[in-house]
Amino acid sequence: MSNLLHRSKAIYQQLRIGDWLIITFSLAIIFLLFQTLWTTERATKVQVRLSDKIYGTYSLNQNRDISIQGVIGTSVISIAQGKVRFSKSPCHNQYCVHQGWLVRAGQAAICLPNQVSLELIGENKPYDSLNY
Amino acid sequence: MQIQTTQHDHQIAKLAALAIALHMIEAVIPSPIPGVKPGIANIVTLYVLYQFDFTTAAWVSILRVFASSLLLGQFLSPTFILSLSGALCSLVALGLAATLPKRLFSAVSLSVIAAFAHIAGQLLVVRLWLIPHAGVSYLIPLFAMAALFFGVVNGLIANAILQQTQNGKSSE
Amino acid sequence: MRKKSLLTLAILALMAITAIAINANKEPLYHAQSYVFGTLVDISIYGESDAHASALANQILQDFQQLHHQLHAWKNNLGHQTRQDSASELIRVNTAFSTSHQPVKISPLLTKLLSDAQALSIRSEGLFNPAIGHLISTWGFQQDNFGVSKIDAEQIQALVKANPSMSDISLQNGEVYSKNPWIKLDLGGYAKGYALDLAVQFLRAQQVQHALINIGGNIIAIGQHGSKPWRVGIQHPRQPAAIATLDLHDGWAIGTSGDYQRYFMLDGKRYCHIIDPRTGYPVQHTQAVTVLIPPQPHAGVLSDVASKPIFIETEDKKSHAAELLGITHYMVIDQNANVLITKNMAQKIEWLDEKFKRNAHVKFITP
Repeated sequence: MSNLLHRSKAIYQQLRIGDWLIITFSLAIIFLLFQTLWTTERATKVQVRLSDKIYGTYSLNQNRDISIQGVIGTSVISIAQGKVRFSKSPCHNQYCVHQGWLVRAGQAAICLPNQVSLELIGENKPYDSLNY
Repeated sequence: MQIQTTQHDHQIAKLAALAIALHMIEAVIPSPIPGVKPGIANIVTLYVLYQFDFTTAAWVSILRVFASSLLLGQFLSPTFILSLSGALCSLVALGLAATLPKRLFSAVSLSVIAAFAHIAGQLLVVRLWLIPHAGVSYLIPLFAMAALFFGVVNGLIANAILQQTQNGKSSE
Repeated sequence: MRKKSLLTLAILALMAITAIAINANKEPLYHAQSYVFGTLVDISIYGESDAHASALANQILQDFQQLHHQLHAWKNNLGHQTRQDSASELIRVNTAFSTSHQPVKISPLLTKLLSDAQALSIRSEGLFNPAIGHLISTWGFQQDNFGVSKIDAEQIQALVKANPSMSDISLQNGEVYSKNPWIKLDLGGYAKGYALDLAVQFLRAQQVQHALINIGGNIIAIGQHGSKPWRVGIQHPRQPAAIATLDLHDGWAIGTSGDYQRYFMLDGKRYCHIIDPRTGYPVQHTQAVTVLIPPQPHAGVLSDVASKPIFIETEDKKSHAAELLGITHYMVIDQNANVLITKNMAQKIEWLDEKFKRNAHVKFITP
């Protein structure tokens, strides 16, 4: 234990004033990077809702298909390269599928007949609700 | 006609070989976070920079990138381009950082600066060429954190090695 | 050494700031969604405990459900909602109109809604017309799988000639009577707005300071989102994105009529659910109309109703249609994606779409 303490002190003493400056400066830059890049409107996750429940929240940082048993059948949601879309739907009009890829936080696609909805969520939503 | 090799040349060749070996070890061992590697080969670059000069460090670094990619069969592949762009950027940064007063800045400073420049170079290539979609920007803060961490660790190791060498020399 | 500990302190402070910044994101915002009126209802309540907010939201959703049972114009089998089997009060009225010619006894609520809808219909010179249910069903919009495979021109012509109008209805002594047997009431363009007003009334009575209610795209605001106003996005009529955002202040409501909400394609042409009562055909010259309603007792209803007359009227008469219902803030996107916007609306919105940001294809109108 004392050996460990001794060593950590050695490391501490190895660092010169300039090193501390550089490290502090780097930390500040990292902090700023997090602030600016993690609060853009670009979505990071998709929230899938089935009827009035949250079905699941998925990272957009993956490639996968999700099948959801909705009210009238199975909807398939595809996630790829930071985007998400309805790729298959049992509904008649297929509006949800025609919506195509969603990218930005706040974007949403709804399949009313099957009661499945997608909403992209990011650190900073550009708006609270969508007027459509 | 015979090429004259000096003790100095041999030493550089040994160091370059060490850098290549470290680079390849890292390339073979899978990283827990994709894209994040400690970059231990940079310790050698730092060592060379301190023991010899910037030109030699640049040689060792570039030689390492080319040789490792050839050995791993990745020459001219995206991985190689990433390595090269990272190495070139970090060399430029090292060249500038080497002018900082040694009294105030140890190898840790140089290592951190080089690590930041390294990811900056790589991310630039990724953004412009490999994955033009904007999702990459999300990863930048994480890469920056990794750069700081490994930059400090590598710098401390370099400091320790340099100190050892110094002690060795003085006790001779 | 002292300098070093100062630096260490600085680093620790930075880390603390980061931690605080991350924690600050957890805010007292409750959010509920459900499917009522055949559409999505979305309730946000800010500044209440989750338990309280959830109880309030459930109460609102229950009230909406009840309203829907009373007012739906056709048997809606969206999903497997079992309670849909019974005909609504409105369906009974419609049946009575077309079969007997006797006055029908109706509830006080329906009396109130019909007289209000009648007044708005007359004010809009019949462009908002909830009496054209037969036209709507002829076009196949009173079913889940809307659309028709063939346009029944004869039937449409006959229905236009029959001229069903809200002024054909008389409301007296808790009874409704129609002198025109071709009247079929459809409150689809009214009920959601009424529900918004109902929810606002309820939440204000419950002392809720901050809430945002969205029923199928029509939104009304109470208070604000913490220290900032509630912010709403306006849907792009052809892309799954918002074209603009605006701050919706306390009491303000916003509503859009769009040809993308319910439509079908036939021979490459788009037929939307907004039908011009004068021709009997879906409107094809406009993609979307958004109206912004300043605080007033029936802001919700107006946000639902007022976009329709503006949508239906041709471009040269759109400002007249807006004037009829006293609408000063509105935006029109025509069939060629050109934007017509009143100056005071333009001052409130912030474009997200680059094309519109540069004001390309944007024309300003003075109401």
